[in-house]
This record gives sequence, C-alpha cells and structure tokens, in this order.
Amino acid sequence: MEEIEKLKKENELLKKINENKSDIISITAHQLRTSLSALKWIFKMFIDEDLGKLNNEQNELIQKAYNSNERMLTLINDLLTLSHSEDASITYNFKKIDFLYLVEQTLFEFSGETNKKGIELIFLRPETPLPLINCDEEMIRVVIQNLVENSIKYSNTGGKVFVSLSQKENNIQISIRDSGIGISQRDENNIFQKFFRAPNAIEKDVIGSGLGLFTTKNIIEKHNGKIWFENKEGQGTIFFVTLPII
Amino acid sequence: MKKVLIIEDDSFLQGLEASKIEKEGYSIITASSGEEAMKKIYEPGIDIVLLDLILPNFDGFEILKKIKEVEELKNIPVIVFSNLSEEKSIKKSKELGAIDFMVKSNFTLDELVKHINTILK
Repeated sequence: MEEIEKLKKENELLKKINENKSDIISITAHQLRTSLSALKWIFKMFIDEDLGKLNNEQNELIQKAYNSNERMLTLINDLLTLSHSEDASITYNFKKIDFLYLVEQTLFEFSGETNKKGIELIFLRPETPLPLINCDEEMIRVVIQNLVENSIKYSNTGGKVFVSLSQKENNIQISIRDSGIGISQRDENNIFQKFFRAPNAIEKDVIGSGLGLFTTKNIIEKHNGKIWFENKEGQGTIFFVTLPII
Repeated sequence: MKKVLIIEDDSFLQGLEASKIEKEGYSIITASSGEEAMKKIYEPGIDIVLLDLILPNFDGFEILKKIKEVEELKNIPVIVFSNLSEEKSIKKSKELGAIDFMVKSNFTLDELVKHINTILK
C-alpha cells in the first residue's frame, strides 16, 4: 500500500512538472511569435510596395527575409506540435470518433492553399461506411494536416493530390498521393528522422523544419498504427497510414 | 463606415493592425489593456472586435465572456487574434462565443482584412 501511495505521489509530481514544461513552451512560443508576426507583417508591406516602390535587389532581399521569417515560424509551430505529441501518456485524449468526418473537415481547411497553388485536392470517399476508431482527434488531425500539407508543398503548380480512405481488415487506412518531387532512394531511410530535410526539398526552396514527418510517425505509433510510403523520385509519393479499429 | 475595436496590448502590433485596417476603409478604436477594453466595448456602433488573449488586468477570455453576456453587445462578432495556439485556448474561445480564432503569426494583415470583410459582408 505504501508503495502504491508513493507511486501516486511521484506520478502527480511528474504531471505537475510536465504541465509547467508545457506552460513554459507555450509562453515562449507566444513571445517568439509576437516578434516574428511584426516582422512578417512589415516584410509583407514592403513586398506589396505599401511603403513605396522597391528596386529588384531590394525586392529580392525582402523576399528572402520574409521566407527566412516563415521558416522560423514553421519551426516554432512544429516544435509546439512535437512537444505536445511527446507528452503522450499525459495529454492524449482518446475517444471514439468518426474518421471520415474528421478527414472531410481537415481537407476543407486546405481550400485556400490549394487555390493559391493551383492544385486540385481530390477526396476519394470509402465505398462502404467505416467503423469508429479510438484516437486523439486533435493529434490525428495533425497527422492528416502534415501529410496533406507536404503533398501540396512538394507538388508542382497544376498538380493533383488524391486522398483516399478505406477499411483494410481490422484497420482504417488513409492514403495521400501526390505527383510532386518524390523522395530520392538514398533519403528513403531518413525521412522520418528528427530534423531531416531531403536535399531535393531544400533545393526547391520549400519551407519546412524537418519535424513534420517525425512528429507524424510519433503520433501514429502512439495509436498503435503504422505509416509507410511508396515513391518514385520526380514522379511523386504515396503515404499510407493505418489505424486500428476499436 | 464600419467600426473595428482592436484590443491589443503590444503597441507595435496594434499600430500595424490599426493602420492596415483603417487603410481598407474602417474606422478604428483601440484598447491596450483589459481594463481599457472593458470600457471601450460599450462605445456605440462597434461592428466587430479583434481580441488578443494575453492582456494586462483582465485577459481576453474575460472580455469575450463579458461581451457575450451583455444583451446589447452579444451580437457583435469577436475574432480572437492571438499568438497562443493550444487547443484549450481555441476551444475555450469558441465555447465563449468567438466567431473565429486566428493565430496572428499564421496570417498576413491582408488576410486578416479579407477575413473581416467576409464576416461583415
């Protein structure tokens, strides 16, 4: 009995430490974002020539500064998500959800981005109704967001991204297929590593932190799910995720 | 001319937001603390409120709660415009009646104005 009480107390203490850590991360991110928001807005005012006409050199430099600022913001966002996803045992909130509804809702949020890039996002609905799954809705939303966002980011203008959903035995499977730059064979083993960025993505000047796929895999594994991909460099990638049915 | 109340304690950000929104044809009122906001929300003719969350005196949630409690104010749309992004803040804002939650650093000021235009259309 004494041992159980001791463990309970230690658990409470760990919870408190974890909450403090989350608060510190959240406030730090808030402060960093506040400064970076100001920079973002000012750079954008220069780019839009709200403050007067720029010559080509000035324009190029400001655009680079804007992109660099966006990289910092992406890194902060990804670090926040990673921090949240790694607090699994304490902060995950598992409940039964309708996965189809979650996917539809999440894809809807991409309409602005796909229009901007001229990319068609096509959702292939399942032919039969899907059973509920037990998951943390917000974290699985992050998984879908990360994978779809990558597909859009690494696709060329005018490309298509297909999302499909189906039941495979005791799992629900979602796949996201793009016709983007793909992953080179030598990078295939590294793409789920923390902070890894593929050289062809860097070359294309696509903004990223190298944390998205690491976090995605982390979340899926916390759900006893699996993630893998099929790929041809230059022709696109298909990511597959399976999550167990309750 | 439609009227926007900007509640933002960072004077630099407040200045940038106000100048952009004003340029797009809105009239602006500003508040830099929770206490000031609690008075300014009663000014007549406010069409929309842009609300930061971390503020001195009263936080954004308390202001939002007050707006939604007062009969003559409760129909004014409130956009929470904050650099907090955790789910609990988003959820609480929606529950208290915010029409939207925008993370400042994810949007340009053009996008913010477009959003205000859409809500007030």
